[in-house]
Amino acid sequence: MTFEKRRAKTKQEIPTTSMPDIVFMLLMFFMCVTTMREVDVLVQFKLPEAKAIEKIENKRLVSYIWVGKDRRIQINDSLIDLGKVEEIMYGKKKTLPELIVSLRSDQNVDMGLITDIQQALRKAYCLRINYSAMIKV
Amino acid sequence: MIKKRKIPDAEIPTASQADLAFLLLLFFLVSTVIDVDTGLGLTLPEYIPPDQQVEVKINPNRMANVLVNENGDVLVDGNIEPVFKIKDILKPRIESKITLPLNQKMIVSLKTDRKTVYNVYISALDQIKQAFFEVRDEYSNGKFGKKFNDLNQVQQEDVKGAVPIIISLAEPELIKK
Repeated sequence: MTFEKRRAKTKQEIPTTSMPDIVFMLLMFFMCVTTMREVDVLVQFKLPEAKAIEKIENKRLVSYIWVGKDRRIQINDSLIDLGKVEEIMYGKKKTLPELIVSLRSDQNVDMGLITDIQQALRKAYCLRINYSAMIKV
Repeated sequence: MIKKRKIPDAEIPTASQADLAFLLLLFFLVSTVIDVDTGLGLTLPEYIPPDQQVEVKINPNRMANVLVNENGDVLVDGNIEPVFKIKDILKPRIESKITLPLNQKMIVSLKTDRKTVYNVYISALDQIKQAFFEVRDEYSNGKFGKKFNDLNQVQQEDVKGAVPIIISLAEPELIKK
């Protein structure tokens, strides 16, 4: 006696005709979301960690100051002297009054340098600052 | 009679379209950086030249002094404390001043040495902010039954009024030569 295998007669294929559409949709999303890195960071730094962290919602208002572990300071695309910080930041503050300065500094820098930068920022009236930090888990 | 020549169908092969789209997709997937800036926010005081600075006497009862020296030792109101205890010391003091008017709220003053490591300063500042945030959360939990971040704007303002974050960065001392 032979058993006949019962097989469903419906097709067992996943329709792939709409796959490109789905992929394009994803593509569009990522194209919209992508922001290419605008500046090359020239200094090496490792951010400190903190728990009471806030997010900066409005990225447009943020201006960065990088401080590397070798104490070099970078604003925009170039390395600058401490004495120039005030002048540059004052120019930025004039074009964008709601400026937030994000200080991306290496965790082993001494506070003397940070204090000097802060004094320069205070003289330039850039009073809203944000110490960039990673979330401590 | 003119015989119509059969025109071959003009078609673009679409079989590889999906592959192309995938390739593009992969490129954007790899190059996307969705990084949100996170950090500790702070508002610096306005710069006043040293000769115009006026000393304001503040009731020591509403003031907490946090000092961090170059070895990373922390002094809270004269007592040596570990960094992670700053929060627990400050919290009850902030809580005790919730009902008082704004000019009697808690002020936390943070002072560092020029040779203090940045990392220790950030941990100390983090502890201070955590203390304020936790008091805010507890206050809003008690009053509105929600955490501070889930409140609407009006309620948030109310909590901010009750528990304002006042962190004072001590004026750096002139370097003696």
